[in-house]
Amino acid sequence: MNSLRHDFIQSCLRSVSSASPNSNDAQNPEATRKYKYLDVGCGGGIFASSAARLPNTASVTAIDPTSEVIKVAREHQRGDPMLSQPGRLQYLNCAIEELDSHIEGQGKESFDFVTVFEVVEHIDKPAAFLRQALAHLKPGGWLIGSTIARHPVSYLTTKIVAEAPWPIGVVPPGTHDWNKYVNPSEVREWFAHENHELHTRNVETSDNEGRIEAGDKYGVVRVEGCIYLPLLGWKWAGGTAESR
Amino acid sequence: MSLRVASRPSKYLCKSCRFDLSRARKRKYGTSSITSNPQDIYDVVTVGGGPVGLALLTALKSSPATSHLRCALIETQTLPKQKSWDLPPDQYSNRASSITPTNQSFLESIGAWKHLDLRRVQPYDEMQVGDAGNDASIQFDWKAEAVRYNAPLRTVATMVENANLTRALLRRLEELDAEDCLLSSSSVASIGNGIDDPEGLNLSNWPVISLNSAGTAESSSTRQIAARLLIGADGINSPVRTFAGISTNGWDYNRHGVVATLKLEPQPDSPFSSSSSDPNSALEDFLSDDTQTTSTSPSQATNENITPSNRATAYQRFLPSLGGPIAILPLPNNHASLVWSTTPQIASTLKSLSPSALASTINAALRLNEVDIKYMLSLPSSSDNEHDHESELTWRLQHTPQPPPARAPPMITAVQPHTPASFPLRLRNASSYISPRLALAGDAAHTIHPLAGQGLNLGLGDAEALARCILGSVACGADVGDAMRLEGYSAERYGRAVEMGGGVDVLNGVYQMGGEGSLSGDGVVGGLLGRMRGLGMWVVGNVPGVKEGIMRRAG
Repeated sequence: MNSLRHDFIQSCLRSVSSASPNSNDAQNPEATRKYKYLDVGCGGGIFASSAARLPNTASVTAIDPTSEVIKVAREHQRGDPMLSQPGRLQYLNCAIEELDSHIEGQGKESFDFVTVFEVVEHIDKPAAFLRQALAHLKPGGWLIGSTIARHPVSYLTTKIVAEAPWPIGVVPPGTHDWNKYVNPSEVREWFAHENHELHTRNVETSDNEGRIEAGDKYGVVRVEGCIYLPLLGWKWAGGTAESR
Repeated sequence: MSLRVASRPSKYLCKSCRFDLSRARKRKYGTSSITSNPQDIYDVVTVGGGPVGLALLTALKSSPATSHLRCALIETQTLPKQKSWDLPPDQYSNRASSITPTNQSFLESIGAWKHLDLRRVQPYDEMQVGDAGNDASIQFDWKAEAVRYNAPLRTVATMVENANLTRALLRRLEELDAEDCLLSSSSVASIGNGIDDPEGLNLSNWPVISLNSAGTAESSSTRQIAARLLIGADGINSPVRTFAGISTNGWDYNRHGVVATLKLEPQPDSPFSSSSSDPNSALEDFLSDDTQTTSTSPSQATNENITPSNRATAYQRFLPSLGGPIAILPLPNNHASLVWSTTPQIASTLKSLSPSALASTINAALRLNEVDIKYMLSLPSSSDNEHDHESELTWRLQHTPQPPPARAPPMITAVQPHTPASFPLRLRNASSYISPRLALAGDAAHTIHPLAGQGLNLGLGDAEALARCILGSVACGADVGDAMRLEGYSAERYGRAVEMGGGVDVLNGVYQMGGEGSLSGDGVVGGLLGRMRGLGMWVVGNVPGVKEGIMRRAG
């Protein structure tokens, strides 16, 4: 799924800038700009290490509250001289709530990308979690994540098939709780609600029914569906489960 | 990815993954005391500076997405000497390869094709194939398509001397300012794994190559370099493949390929001039009209010096009872390259002949019955009378029916001195083309029979696919040596090589049936097999789409 993640990040960047950030145009400030990533719930560091290897990455801070996976991630980092360059990739064994105490000297809102891949479906209270994560995002930065939609198809694939015994299953039973999955519409509604909340706190306006307006804190919510096809790998699904 | 598997199987590691990891452990271990000096750590190390290894390095360096990768290419020979290779226009190297249009596009896309001396390459647009066991013959060309679309005739393939290609790649690397990647005159002393430094990096699953660089007698040095991805483009006996513990399957053909550079009698006109005895003559009249128009246009005249003439034919004649086919592949200025697959005994006879006797023998092989050819091969090679072979040929030609002029192979007038040579023919396929942090390309991965001229083409296809695989990894921040990412390369190339190598192997077997010494012998059964083969050839040539399908798959 990693290549899809990077494709998605690139398409998000392209949607707001006229020039591709990967172009070699020396005049274009985007071309030489380097990005800071915060990977929340990094696990063994699959995404964090891939982001650290990109030429336009300044640094990656990757956090996870589980100490075993951070150990694995650091062990993996040791096996790659590029990831071991000072300042390039930093793993922290902490939760998002504790992050401030671990990164000293950096104010809030210091990351270009905050990434939450395959995390939200494991969180009891996703709203509070996302608010914590978003507090670290620079203005103009992106929150990018992936999660499983709460849909009968995902019950089949992630519970019945994925948690089946060997040789069919691939994860231990109990890894996922279908009731914790969130759908794209719920995500959109939540961001619209957050925008509205922040508006009414600052300005007297009427309910704008979820449209993004100037002055909104959170901009466009982009969602793409993806699916794992055996023997072929992860593919874009051309829509989301809900919209089918 | 660590190659060490947990001693206590973890329930979080599914059984399939555990199996894959333990298979990777078969790699030979030898630790090396490499330091973590950044100067010694490379992203892509290629062992082998032949056309395949050089093409891969050129592809990586010519693409902006991968040009930043730290690369090294290790070659035992002196590459600067190969960059200054030069032969006069009337001499051609005896190692020349037929490059398919697909590979020509690849070489153009990496900026190497333009560095070829194009006066020394010969595109050909027709291949005549005959069988000495019967009267069957078939022509491979794109004429039907040219007529259907009213388009110029498509090239079947282009003959390029290997040295010309190597020099072009080296010139392109110079143009890309990438010559410091070339570790020339260096040999691989050993390959091992890096060490796990508890206070530093863990390079225990990185291949570490110990190099001996030949300097002067006093100053030859040893050096160790670590590779994120090690590529074996180091030929049929690949040391990289041995290090990876990858076995090979295959067999020796008990045949040799005899090569030489030939001088031909100048053709009277293009093979497409009208000939009333040829059923295709109307078609060829149509096409020859086209050529006459274009050849007199002003732009053609000014480009004449650098645009190679595209009117050439390759000839192949199967000799079932003599061990394999003889092929004459065109080179510019009435030259040609010989590739004659035959028994070791005949090969050594051919190499012992004087140049003029050899020329007569080759002419015999292209025209006479197999019985006559065998007689000519039995003539004493060193005789007082220089013209023994020639007179035998002349006499027997009078009594042998000849093909129509449009299909006739050229007459060989001379063999370029010092070019006859031979190499053993073998079929080999590696059981895997990849391993963690390792990939094989070219002859290191697969060696096939030369009768279809596809060996180097497969290797260049490997280089293109591997460069694309590496580019895909870089684009998503993956480790270029990651085994899972390399699987894409293997999936793309493995089946292709097996298909091609297996296909020419079957053809080779089929075209040695019905010959003396073969299982089917020389008698009735042999004759019947020859007829069946002729029927098969007729089907390929006349059933619509079959011939084009074969050419498309091979091109």
